[in-house]
Amino acid sequence: MNNVEAKFILQGYRPNGSDAADAMFGPALEQARHDPALHDWFAREQAFDAAISAKFSQIQAPAGLREAILAGGRVTAAEAPRRNWWQYPVMLAAAASIAVIFALTMALWPRQAAANAPLLNFALVDALHSETHGGHGKEAGALQTLLAEPTTRLGGSLPLDFAALQKAGCRAVGFEGHEVLEVCFKRNGVWFHCYIAQREDFPALAAAATPTLVDRNGISLASWADAAHLFVVVSKKGHSELEKLL
Amino acid sequence: MPSDIFTQLVDAHYTPLFRFALSLTKNASDAGDLTQQTFFIWAKQGHALREEGKAKSWLFTTLYREFLRGRRRAGRMTALEDLGPVESDPPAPAVDVVTSMDADLVVDALQEVDEAYRAPLTLFYMQEMSYKEIAELLEVPIGTVMSRLSRGKQQLRAALAHRESGAPGKVIPLNTQTTRKLS
Repeated sequence: MNNVEAKFILQGYRPNGSDAADAMFGPALEQARHDPALHDWFAREQAFDAAISAKFSQIQAPAGLREAILAGGRVTAAEAPRRNWWQYPVMLAAAASIAVIFALTMALWPRQAAANAPLLNFALVDALHSETHGGHGKEAGALQTLLAEPTTRLGGSLPLDFAALQKAGCRAVGFEGHEVLEVCFKRNGVWFHCYIAQREDFPALAAAATPTLVDRNGISLASWADAAHLFVVVSKKGHSELEKLL
Repeated sequence: MPSDIFTQLVDAHYTPLFRFALSLTKNASDAGDLTQQTFFIWAKQGHALREEGKAKSWLFTTLYREFLRGRRRAGRMTALEDLGPVESDPPAPAVDVVTSMDADLVVDALQEVDEAYRAPLTLFYMQEMSYKEIAELLEVPIGTVMSRLSRGKQQLRAALAHRESGAPGKVIPLNTQTTRKLS
């Protein structure tokens, strides 16, 4: 490493020493210890950076900004989509009713579907919550577009990055201590809800690689899995609409 | 969302977020709006984050994306290809001169730095994020962050030198004759 390279690296070293343990700076710091010219340059650079940082830390936010954020945040949170539906008595009662119905009917379902019955049950209850849920981040927009595309055949793998969707603010619903992502999409005038779970989060659940359809009182669910994800798509418009997607 | 958690989050991050927003927008009013907007997005969806430790990174990333979104709407984009090459060690005011400068003057100088360099430079000087975290936030490779820091510092030095000589003005690319005369 020559001094030009060392300078290029060291100029990213924060003057408060936060990067002391970062291995990337090690060789350049070592070189600065032994090379007087580089040592002097680094000392000047750090002093300059510390002076600028000190000036920057003197900038204060305008008076009233904190209060405005707190007040606006409370209003926004109150209007935000209700993720924790189980915190509301009416929704809890509805969920309990549906859960009872499902518990009674699950035994009649095909064996393959029963393997991931808890996820199906959960998806059905959540899908009943609303026609559209909102709360999808930008990253989910691409997936939503793909799902809504008439030529997209469901029932196999989908090009998605679960972590990126989470990070981007895609709607996520808690299920057995893990997050399940949900994307609403409309195809041919019909709304569907696609639930995506990570297989590693639910090792006890299983689903076939090919889609399995189940119906209950006009609500249909298709479920399948690929190597990394479990998928459930819910339609309130019946079996035939769902079948068109597969 | 429990309000005490939101309050804690606001107290911990609203000032650094405002500083970052100010460097991006060059305007205290817009910076305040951008900071508020970031927390409102959090209030809507950010609380779904499973790891609270990632809140800071989420807030900064969201603020930056909101800024970019607003700028795209306004049709203002900076073409990095148009920016001049790096010149090594441009003249800079002495540290004690910087120390004696008013903070607002230093911020003014920072706001003359080209936008592409201003974001990583501001985050660097706030000292809250490592170059790796800055790279993640800006969604650019680490090498790009280092390169932008280098160029940004050079432009900042030039802008501060102008301030010191009492001739504030827009930073001109360092590879031009004009800049050398001014320096």
